[in-house]
This record gives sequence, structure tokens and C-alpha cells, in this order.
Amino acid sequence: MRADALLLAMALLTTGCASVTQPSGPFAGSDARQRLWRHAGPRDDATLAGPGNGAGAVGGGERNAALTRQAILESIDETKGSLEDIQSTLSKLRERAPVFNGRRLGSGVFTRYLDHGAGQVTWMRGALGSATTLTGVASEVGDAGLQWGLLRMTGPRLQAAMFGTLLLATWVDFLQLSDALLRECPMCSDEKVFADLHRVQTLMEPTLSDLSALDTERVEAAALEVPQLMGKLSREFNAIHANARSAMEQGGKVGVAAQVLEMPAMLSTLKLTTPRPPASAPATLGEGLVMSAGGVMAGSRIVVSAEWVEMMRRLVQAGVLSIPVVSAAVRIHGGQVLMAQAPRDLPGDVREALGDSPEVRGMHVTNKAKAGMPEAPKHHVLPKEHREWFEQRGFTGDLDIDQFCVRLEQAHHEAIHGGGNWRLGRTWPGEWNQLVMRALRNAELRAGRMLTSREVLEIVAERMTDYRVPMNFSSGRGP
Amino acid sequence: MSGGEAWRGDIQARLDARVRERGYDSLTAFAEARPAVPLHALADELGNDVAAVQVLSGLLAEAEQRQEVTRFVRDVLARMLSQGLSDGWPAVLDDANRFKVAKALGAWSAYTPETHEERAQRVGDALLANPPPAGWRPLGPDDALLRRLLPDDEP
Repeated sequence: MRADALLLAMALLTTGCASVTQPSGPFAGSDARQRLWRHAGPRDDATLAGPGNGAGAVGGGERNAALTRQAILESIDETKGSLEDIQSTLSKLRERAPVFNGRRLGSGVFTRYLDHGAGQVTWMRGALGSATTLTGVASEVGDAGLQWGLLRMTGPRLQAAMFGTLLLATWVDFLQLSDALLRECPMCSDEKVFADLHRVQTLMEPTLSDLSALDTERVEAAALEVPQLMGKLSREFNAIHANARSAMEQGGKVGVAAQVLEMPAMLSTLKLTTPRPPASAPATLGEGLVMSAGGVMAGSRIVVSAEWVEMMRRLVQAGVLSIPVVSAAVRIHGGQVLMAQAPRDLPGDVREALGDSPEVRGMHVTNKAKAGMPEAPKHHVLPKEHREWFEQRGFTGDLDIDQFCVRLEQAHHEAIHGGGNWRLGRTWPGEWNQLVMRALRNAELRAGRMLTSREVLEIVAERMTDYRVPMNFSSGRGP
Repeated sequence: MSGGEAWRGDIQARLDARVRERGYDSLTAFAEARPAVPLHALADELGNDVAAVQVLSGLLAEAEQRQEVTRFVRDVLARMLSQGLSDGWPAVLDDANRFKVAKALGAWSAYTPETHEERAQRVGDALLANPPPAGWRPLGPDDALLRRLLPDDEP
């Protein structure tokens, strides 16, 4: 992309970037974004035995699962931290007193834009809470396949919150810029500031709305669009910035313009800069890898920390995040250089470093396009005609039975629901819904008490194994 | 990976072929050589494209032909117990152990043919009312306690 393309690299990158960022001013947006991807402390060196095909790895499987849980929880914590920073910036913007002309973002027609930000925070917190709950349930179940299945369920929630937080932090940058203009730039009309913000909000709207749906496919598609959207947003930011400067300079406020528009807080993540290696350079997913990719990236580096790569690799191997999504994140990390690459793909070596492999790709449920198969319909694993029974056993909210759907090919679905001619024995019907309910009701009878949701899932997971139903859950309301 | 492979093609023909490839002339003979091995492990041994419930159904079909369904039901119980209670019958039926037993018995009754459902219920009741000795682990359908609880009485 061009030299004026956005650069998120510095603020987005890693711990090492802290020294590059501006001194803490009245605004916290940039901090929020740094935190989004930051990883402190060395990570345990882990063997990278993957979780296998969902049936669970033997030996190091438990440790592997524990490390994956840890990676998920760390991502959740960091995203939460970013959200807190964003929230505090929003409150500051709301409360800041006007300077001289009474204009500010925290009053009048402009408050809707602050409210818009606050509204986004709400669903992102919800998504993170839900991912935390699922990770917790995963830590309690004994069945390895089920554990991986539950961990993979955190994927869309985590992805939505991560990319949503990134967009929200960017939105906060626009709010900060607008607030500065309202306060300091008498030539910048209310109408213009209002319209600019409206346009930016509209640009972000479809992606935010897809992310907030928390649906596996919609979230993934939206995440893949984020790098491009960030490009558009950076152009908007630069245009607003340039217009304000020229308006102020024409108004004879050259000195003020310099002060207002160059103040540290404006050197946000969207600010045009040139990538610099971070001071305390973290390990780079760097020259070696990139340069070998046909020299495409010559002279540039993708700078992300070894810890970050390790975390992403773990999440990719577990099937929590997909390679295309991580690629999108890396392209945002890497800033302008990577934005120039083909819209979807990273160089093969980079993908490899992140843990891409045909095996991993095949594992991710949303990658069926690559498997050359049409999208198989979703089906409830917990029979929905017994919804109430499950609700009484804790399947509500994050564990609603709609969250436990799997994609099955038609033949597979028909067979487990009593179709086809596979039932060789005459006296055992083997129909999924009946069978599952019999196993559950009988177990409850024998246990002498109501089963917990965890116990129900363990029983169902064993039956899924016996029917070779893959433990790739996604939410759905289908049959 | 999708699990769908097990449900494509002629399932019975695949089962027969895999069993023959392994040198057995029936699924029952294949399973008898692997007593108390969980059904999913039998399926895995026959191939990634074979599902445990297909093995179950195939074993039942052969048992129906031989009029040995009761023996088949005992055989499945031995497999479910070894899957669910790796250390054998628990010494203490605390809440966690009781759940393990309940899960195994629940799955067994779900896998029991309609003709034997009531008898299976009674077996479950009897096991819980008069628990077997700690560590009890039936090694197959001929286990003495299993035979006492569920004797052959095929017509």
C-alpha cells in the first residue's frame, strides 16, 4: 500500500513498543491498543503436539489443554484490560469541562457518539464473559475431545472481542480528535465534526454488527475485513486531521494548529508514522521468514513478539482461531507492509510459523471452503424438543443448547436420526435423540439426583464419539 | 476429520471387509478376541471410517441370528464398565464415583435392545443395591456375576 497507509504497528505491537508510545496524556486510547496485543513475561516452552483430531492427544494432552486454556484466558484478560482503558477514556471525554466556547464532545448532539462507544463495550464484555465461562467448563470436564470442543467454542467470542476492541479503540481515536477540534478549532463547525463522526460510524457499522452477532461464520468474515477497514479508517482520520489543520492555518491559527494537532494524544495508532523496530526489540517473526518469501517483504519486517506468535500458534492448533483470522491480526500488527500483501494470505513461511498446516486447516470448522465441500447444515446435539429438560440442568445463557450445534453432512445426519440401512440389528433403533435422552435419563436415575451441565456434556460427548460426530460446536438455531 | 466418512458408502460391506481383513469370519469373533474393550476402541481398530454404534449394531445383528442376544447384552455391559470404571467397581460410592457408575449404566441401557430393556434396568438396580466387591471388573460376557444377574434364557 502507499506510504500514507495507516500504521498500527507501533502501538499495536508488543511490550517492546512501550517505549515508542507517547507519554501518558489525558487520553488512554493508544494504551488500550497496545495492551490489546501485549504479552508480558516469557511463556513456558511447550511441546506443540496439537490436540489431534479433537479426540484428544495422549500423554501431554492435559498439559497442552492447560496451556491452551491459559492462552485463551490471557487473551481474554488483555482484551478486558483494553476495554477498561477505552471505558475510562470515554468517561474522561464525557466529563471533561469545556474550554472557552462551550463546545465539547461530552454534551449536546455529540453524546450519541460516546454512547455508541459505550454500547459496544457492553457486548464485548459479554462475549469475553461467555468465553471465560466456557473455558471454565472446559477445565472441569474429563473427556479430552469435549474439552477441546469447549475451548474451540471460545473462538468466535474471543475473535469478536479482540477485533471489536481494536475497532473501538480506533473509534476512541476519532472521538479524541473530534473533541480536540470542538474545543480548539473555532473554524471546525459542529456540523462538520458531527458529519465526519457519522461517516466513520457508518463505515464501522457493518463489521461491528457482524462481530457482535458472535456467530462463527459472521465473526470470521468480519475479522477478515478488518485490515481493509482499518485502511479506510486511517484515510478518514488523516483527511479529517489535514482538513482541520488547513482550516486552522487559513484562520491564522498556525501555532494553535501545531499545538492541538501534534499533541501527544493525537499521535495515536492511526497516526502516520514509519515502522521502527521497538526499542527493546522483541523476537521478531522477522527477516528470516519474511525475506525467504520470494523477497516480497525485503527491507521490512513483521514485528510481533515471540510470545504473541506462541499464543496464536497455540490457539490456531487448538482450532480456537483460524489461520485467516490470525493472518488478519498479523497484517494489522505489521501495519502498512503487510497491508500491501494479497488481501488474505500471508507468506507461507509466516503461516507456518503461526502453526498453519493442512491438518490444522482441516480442523477448523469454518474452513470447509478449502475442503471443497458445501456448507453442511447445523444440527443440535442436545435434542431441542427437550430444551426445558436441559435448561433445568443449567443449559442457559452461555451454555444454551443452541450453542451446541454441529455441522453434519446430510447422510450423516439422516443416519444418526434413524435413516439409511446401517442398523444391522433389528431390535436397537439407534436414533440419536432417543438414545441420548435414554442415556441421560438412565444416568440420572442411577445417580439418584439431577445431573449437572458438565455431567450431561460428558455423557453426550461419549455418544458423539461413538457416532463419530465431530466435537466442533457452533451456535445455531437450525434443526 | 468431519466424521462423515463413517456414514458414506455401504456400511455393512465395509464392516465385513475390515473384519475379514483382520482374519475373522465374523464381527462377533473379532470382538470376542477383544473382551471388555470399549466399543469405540473396536471401531478405531477397524478404521477411522467405522463408528462404534455400527459395531454395536453389527454385533447385535449377529447375536440375533445366533439367538445370543442376552450374551451380547452382557458383553456390552462389560465393555461399558471397563470404559467408565478403569479401576474396576469403586470401593466407595461417593458422588463422583456414583456418577461414573451412573454414566456407564446409563449408556449401557441406551445401547440395550428393546427386548432386554427391562432386564437391563433390573441388573442396574441389583448392582447398586448389592454392590460387587471393590475392583470388580467383568472381563467379558462370561463373568460369573454378570451371568448370575443376567442369565441366558434364549428361547
